[in-house]
Amino acid sequence: MELELEHVTKEFNDFKAVSDVSYTMHNGVYGLLGVNGAGKTTTMRMLCTLLKPSAGRITYDGRDIFEMDGEYRKMLGYLPQDFGYYPDFSVQDYLMYIASIKGLPSALAGKRVKELLGKVGLSKAKNKKMKKLSGGMKRRAGIAQAMLNDPRILILDEPTAGLDPNERIRFRNLISELSEDRMVLLSTHIVSDVEYIAGEILLMKDGEFAHSGTVYELTASIPDRVWNVKAAKTEVDTYMKQYKVANVKTVQEGVELRILSEQIPHPGAIQEEVCLEDVFLYYFGEKAGEEDGVL
Amino acid sequence: MVYYEIKKVFSKASSKMALALLVMLLLMISYFTLHDEEYVHSDGTVETGIVAVGRLREDRKKWSGELSEQQFAKVIEENAEINKAAGNQPVSALSQKQGFYDISTIINRAYTDFGKYDYTVIDSLIPADAKNVYPNRVTQLEEWLDTHAADGFSVQEKAYLMGQFKKLETPLSYEWSEGWQQFQSYSISLFTVMVFILGFLVAGIFSGESGLKADSIFFSTYHGRRQAILAKLVAGLLIGSGIYWVMVLLYSAIVFGFLGTDGADCMIQTSITGWMSSYNITFLQQYLITIAGGYIGIMFILLLMMFVSAKTRSTKFAVIIPFIVVMIPSVLAGIANSIPLVEKILGLLPDQLLNMCQLIQYFSLYRITGEITGSLNLLLPMYGILSLLLCPVIYQVYRRTEVK
Repeated sequence: MELELEHVTKEFNDFKAVSDVSYTMHNGVYGLLGVNGAGKTTTMRMLCTLLKPSAGRITYDGRDIFEMDGEYRKMLGYLPQDFGYYPDFSVQDYLMYIASIKGLPSALAGKRVKELLGKVGLSKAKNKKMKKLSGGMKRRAGIAQAMLNDPRILILDEPTAGLDPNERIRFRNLISELSEDRMVLLSTHIVSDVEYIAGEILLMKDGEFAHSGTVYELTASIPDRVWNVKAAKTEVDTYMKQYKVANVKTVQEGVELRILSEQIPHPGAIQEEVCLEDVFLYYFGEKAGEEDGVL
Repeated sequence: MVYYEIKKVFSKASSKMALALLVMLLLMISYFTLHDEEYVHSDGTVETGIVAVGRLREDRKKWSGELSEQQFAKVIEENAEINKAAGNQPVSALSQKQGFYDISTIINRAYTDFGKYDYTVIDSLIPADAKNVYPNRVTQLEEWLDTHAADGFSVQEKAYLMGQFKKLETPLSYEWSEGWQQFQSYSISLFTVMVFILGFLVAGIFSGESGLKADSIFFSTYHGRRQAILAKLVAGLLIGSGIYWVMVLLYSAIVFGFLGTDGADCMIQTSITGWMSSYNITFLQQYLITIAGGYIGIMFILLLMMFVSAKTRSTKFAVIIPFIVVMIPSVLAGIANSIPLVEKILGLLPDQLLNMCQLIQYFSLYRITGEITGSLNLLLPMYGILSLLLCPVIYQVYRRTEVK
């Protein structure tokens, strides 16, 4: 199984949302990381045949996915960022409907719906109307609908958005469990979501795949090291202007700063291990005072 | 898939309310239809409703049969005798004339100028005038066609109208036909109510997916750009057809149940509205044309709405289509009805299909492949074909939707 983006570009009027992106994916979990507006959702929508590329092409085992039409979509499961549903449908009806448009025969659909309701912990809520579900339950119904056809390609756009920490952990475990023998592309701007489960991570910025690799490869790719610096509260601004600061923690003696820098920022600084969040900051973050600073 | 598409529509509380409203309006229309019938007693008291219908029906049955010269003469004579006997008691006369009211209407129309009606004309006639009732119908048209009012008609169109009038086989046969006539009178109200309510129900079938942000999942599924779209189309047509026929059958059952189906084979020219019609058809044929016209008209408007809904993905845009289709022609007709070209165009707009009973009274003519024909003969096939053509267009438009 090979899903390949070949010089894919997507333009909306004069705005280039995705610019000349090329990448090949196989079985496994891929994390798509980037700030809001980086082009993650547009990329995913093209992979789901919801948008046609302005240039380039996307192939599945060498065949254009838009020419494959239904044959490609039969292998696809998608959970969009704005998960829309039919508010007056019960969870069971909703899943049965999605099963029908996914082409599942009704006998198999019933069995599959029951199985997935159990897997996502919604068996007891199956007769509840969709509009009555909590945010977490809706997301679970969302992942269940994406899995109905046992897809070979599972695309999840910001699946943990709006979930509480418990639900996020549960969700991550569920995705890990579901990722066997299929390709999962998971987009998020929450670094920890992909850090634990993604085999390969794609960093997206300004419509391009800026960097990619495993967590290890990405952490090794940055020249900066990470330092823990204890400082007085009055010094925070100075550090923030001078360095990329990943974290500021107030402690009894003042503050503890997590700083990215090639050189030791302070004689008493202690070097720490680089994590994916630091990589994200290195590539996407700006120092305080820079235009459009995100941190 | 079709089942769930229909369920999507009817799971909404607003749809259930719309259906309840439709049933309520049907009952109201039925009430007005039946309440229109009045029977006047000799003491002047007026009775309405089912009892009045029964009495009127009995009285008029006595005058059923061939509308021959002798029958017209008999009505003129009877009318004169009642007038004479009633003296200065017009209410008593009115009560006694109810049996031959329909026939006296025909005589009045035959002796009143074209396009006008004077219900007292019969009072000035003598039995010998009966022989001119049928010839007057043709003469009136002939005279009117020579006036400036008919300048919009070509020579061929005038000849066509004359031919149609002369083709009417006389003497006509008369029977109580209030069921058919009342159905016609209120069919416009019923169809108008239905087009708005059915429109409200189907307006969101296509646009609802993007309105609910459910389109991303819909279009990323196996059938999302294929059968699932057909299912939407079929659901829209099933909802429209199902409700239309249930309502028409219910209304027919109510009207004919109370007023009867007598007179089905009588020509529409035996009624006040049909006397000057150029369509030589029976009441049953008129009924079938009316309900077929209503069906095709409503289906066309619903398909047009589904097209707008699929193209714009906006329920708001779709829901205004019936207002545009039904209201705008009426406004334009009021402003520019004297301009022949505008009149010709307006005569072919889809709102005409909801208005078949009035269309039958108009001289709305068109030349097709050298032949002159009435708009009635054009509208049904034309909008039937257009409706069929809209289906693949809707499918293709929605299939190409991009989710941005």
